[in-house]
Amino acid sequence: MIQTINLQKLFATEEVETTALNGISMDVKDGEFVAIMGPSGCGKSTLLNILGLLDNPTDGEYNFYGTAVARMTERQRAQLRKGSIGFVFQSFNLIDELTVYENVELPLLYLKTPADERKQRVEAALERMAIMHRRNHFPQQLSGGQQQRTAIARAVVAKPKLILADEPTGNLDSKNGEEVMKLLGELNDEGTTIIMVTHSPYDAGFAHRIVNLFDGKVVTENFHV
Amino acid sequence: MIRNYLKIAFRTLWKHKTHTGINVVGLAVAFATATLLFLTSWFEWSYDRFHTDVDRIYRVYLQESTGDVTSIMPYPLSPALQAEMADAESVTRMMWSQTEFVGEKHVAKDIRFADPGVFRTFTFPLLAGDPNTALKDLSSIVITEDMARDLFGDQNPIGKPLRTDGLNMGRDFIVTGVLANIPTNSTFRFDALVRPETRVDYQANKAEWGNRNHEVFVRLKPGVDAQTAEKRLRSFTKKYWQSEIAEAKQRGQKPDAQGEYISLRLQPLTDIRFDTKGVMGGGVSRTYVYALALIGLFILLIAGINYVNLSLARSVTRAREVGVRKSLGAQSGQLLGQFWAESLVICLIALLAGVGLAVGLRPYYNQLFGTRLSFDLLTHPITVGCILVAFLFITLLTGGYPAWIMARFEAVTVLKGKVKGPKSGGLRSILIVAQFALASLLIICTLLIGQQLRYLRERPLGFSEEQVISLPLRNRDNLTGARALQQLRDRLRNNPDVVSISGTATNLGSGLDGSTSRSMSGWTYKNREVETDWLRVDFDYLKTLGMSLKAGRDFNPAFSTDTVSAVIITQSMAKQLGEKDPVGVVIQPDTADRKYEIIGVIPDFNLFSLHQKAKPITLHLDSRNEVSYALIRTTPQGMVRTMDALKSLWKEMAPSAPFQASFVNENTNRWYDKEERFSTIFRIAAGLTILLSCMGLFAVALLTIEQRTKEIGVRKVLGASVTSIVALLSKDFLKLVVIAIVIASPLAWYAMNQWLQDFAYKIDIEWWVFGLAGLLAVGIALLTVSVQSIKAALMNPVRSLRSD
Repeated sequence: MIQTINLQKLFATEEVETTALNGISMDVKDGEFVAIMGPSGCGKSTLLNILGLLDNPTDGEYNFYGTAVARMTERQRAQLRKGSIGFVFQSFNLIDELTVYENVELPLLYLKTPADERKQRVEAALERMAIMHRRNHFPQQLSGGQQQRTAIARAVVAKPKLILADEPTGNLDSKNGEEVMKLLGELNDEGTTIIMVTHSPYDAGFAHRIVNLFDGKVVTENFHV
Repeated sequence: MIRNYLKIAFRTLWKHKTHTGINVVGLAVAFATATLLFLTSWFEWSYDRFHTDVDRIYRVYLQESTGDVTSIMPYPLSPALQAEMADAESVTRMMWSQTEFVGEKHVAKDIRFADPGVFRTFTFPLLAGDPNTALKDLSSIVITEDMARDLFGDQNPIGKPLRTDGLNMGRDFIVTGVLANIPTNSTFRFDALVRPETRVDYQANKAEWGNRNHEVFVRLKPGVDAQTAEKRLRSFTKKYWQSEIAEAKQRGQKPDAQGEYISLRLQPLTDIRFDTKGVMGGGVSRTYVYALALIGLFILLIAGINYVNLSLARSVTRAREVGVRKSLGAQSGQLLGQFWAESLVICLIALLAGVGLAVGLRPYYNQLFGTRLSFDLLTHPITVGCILVAFLFITLLTGGYPAWIMARFEAVTVLKGKVKGPKSGGLRSILIVAQFALASLLIICTLLIGQQLRYLRERPLGFSEEQVISLPLRNRDNLTGARALQQLRDRLRNNPDVVSISGTATNLGSGLDGSTSRSMSGWTYKNREVETDWLRVDFDYLKTLGMSLKAGRDFNPAFSTDTVSAVIITQSMAKQLGEKDPVGVVIQPDTADRKYEIIGVIPDFNLFSLHQKAKPITLHLDSRNEVSYALIRTTPQGMVRTMDALKSLWKEMAPSAPFQASFVNENTNRWYDKEERFSTIFRIAAGLTILLSCMGLFAVALLTIEQRTKEIGVRKVLGASVTSIVALLSKDFLKLVVIAIVIASPLAWYAMNQWLQDFAYKIDIEWWVFGLAGLLAVGIALLTVSVQSIKAALMNPVRSLRSD
């Protein structure tokens, strides 16, 4: 379970100070599927980055599965991030120089997973995302949908407790987008917690709860059943 | 993980072939050049250091309180030192090596004259024979391994008779020792050693302190320092140079700081290689050796800077990868390791290519620069060790810095696609300034060296060196130089291509026989100290060399006394004598048993290279001095025909002696071979540094312009012209280049001023050279940058604005 209390994030340049997050308090329970929505510049991605331990808040508390992480160093965060969070990006962010298989394998390498187990898990993830037949291709040789399926396979291969998805369908056509959303839904059904930033009300419909942000604050929360 | 790093490394490198290529080629060329240059300077530095306890070996030289120094010594000095110098462990004379034809095959070999002490003084190990007795007898000859093989094949040479032909030594020897081949980094190069007592002039001069013709080396006893030994030599000098000291006092010459008029000094053996004009000259300037190492370092530095700048430029495109990896759990250390591994791969490929290049280029390099770098030197453990250490250092610095920068990219920023690349504009600017300062430095040096070289070549020597052939007459028995010259005169008398023929003992320029000699004489004339080159010539010397008389007459066969007691002097000699009208004046050098009458005066001319100030010269025909070269002036059209005629004539006259004729203008050009090589090295180095610097500048320009794409788009939308944008983008780089020139100019001035000190005749360093170099650097930089600037300025702003 993750919990934030009064998260603040300020971006300061020499002349201007911008408040990206202004007192965000929210809980996400295990196995929940939360969508974060809001207009451009409302702080969605900033919040996601903090939740994903990629960034620290300027102020406030963040409790990540029982660990207070708000003041951790980059090094400590990296340690904690490994294996517990999977990321899915709008622009897929696959590494062009690695094949589908190698991209998916990468998190396990950083986790120092033994070779035979690694092979087994990568293959399982590829099967799961129906991308096995493309295992030796490079990202540029794949369609957008295939690339995003690879990215999801990479996000789940380490069996993280939490998947953070930043507009996962933003670069996809509706058919491929639908497919990706279904995959996320399935993962959630199997117990993975998912927090997703999206502009699309349709995608948000897959979530249990929608958190609406505006100017760095939570304005409404809608619950689905 | 490592496998993954390497895989990514290879794939990334392959994907960006151009970048990788520039990096690898740049580094490989730098590695190869630096290796060859460092080896050359190491080789020069290592000269004579193979002798054990080399710090105890010294060359004896004579210093007068006037500042004149010479290391040329009289025959009796060495025995006297041996008997009286308590500080000396051993003493030996070393005479110049002399090419003689030996054995039945008449093979040309370099023979040196040395005392038995040579084996105690130096470390020339004997493979066969006993160093204590090898040169005991006057009939002994000690030969090198190579010479033994050339003459005797596989047979044991010890005890074999060996006959030498030649002018000084039609003599029979017995081989008493075989020397290991002389190391290439030895000042003394020779094929055989015999005793000085075997020389024809020995008996006449063995007790003559005024006649000097060889050098003397001592090995001091352990624990004795040179200064102490020099101090203890004072009484020795006073004893043997009594009359010279008395004369100096009488002349009113001032004593030196120690109160001495003449003193014997000791010059460390290891300084001889670098002795450009101090004692004997002929050495390699230390400036040269340092310059080589420095240039090597420069080139490495520039290639390293390039690598850093290119990697930084590329790092932007890899920022996303950093972000993804970080989001997947990679830590900065791991990323650092990964990027460093990539650098390691590039550097390793470059190193291998560079070493391969160095090995492959070695023969050409040796040929071009007259060096003797052996393959063994390249594979020497010290060389390999140094290369590895340098390699690690370079990879650590050049690979480490960009890797460190990249690994520190923040995941959040780069994933947002907001990476601006490293902001260390300061460092980048410093690197560019450093590169262009080095390049400008080398451009200025190249220009100045070229100028000085041209000056040396074009400065009139005082004689006409065009269309004159010089033929070395050193040959087999019963054909002396004089007789050979006479034969040439007889046979070429009716040849229409030949204008005139003469002879001389001292070659003009550096001929194909590679030998040089000098005979000097000094005495007191009417209370004036006189020193002059004592030059043996033959009839028609002035005519052959196109010299005109200022007063008096030329040598003339019609005057029977001319070959005995007539001399022609140069104007500076006349001035030295203090005679307004010297024709008819009679002089008598101390060492001469005769009086000579001055019959003519000629303008000064340069008998030796322009490194040294021309000394007064006295020309004489005394047949007791050998004529060693024939000089033949031809008509402008008849040069080639005469050369051919001489060749066939020589074959008849001396069938077993090589024909080594050459044109005097080529020979005088050869005086400056060293400078020519120096100039070539600088030209190549300057070219390389400029090329490498431009590669770097290109990359950096690319990076900066990429980062300013949006700015350029906006400016264009607002109506900026292409020219104004190119100017905007180029301005910053030009500023850096100008700063570089300002830094380089005084450094170049200082370095070149030092170098020019080696020449008695030299150019003035003029300001426009710096201007020209600056213009060149700016022009080249502008060209490099403007390609990118123009491209950026021409880009459709819609595209550059959309890309954000």
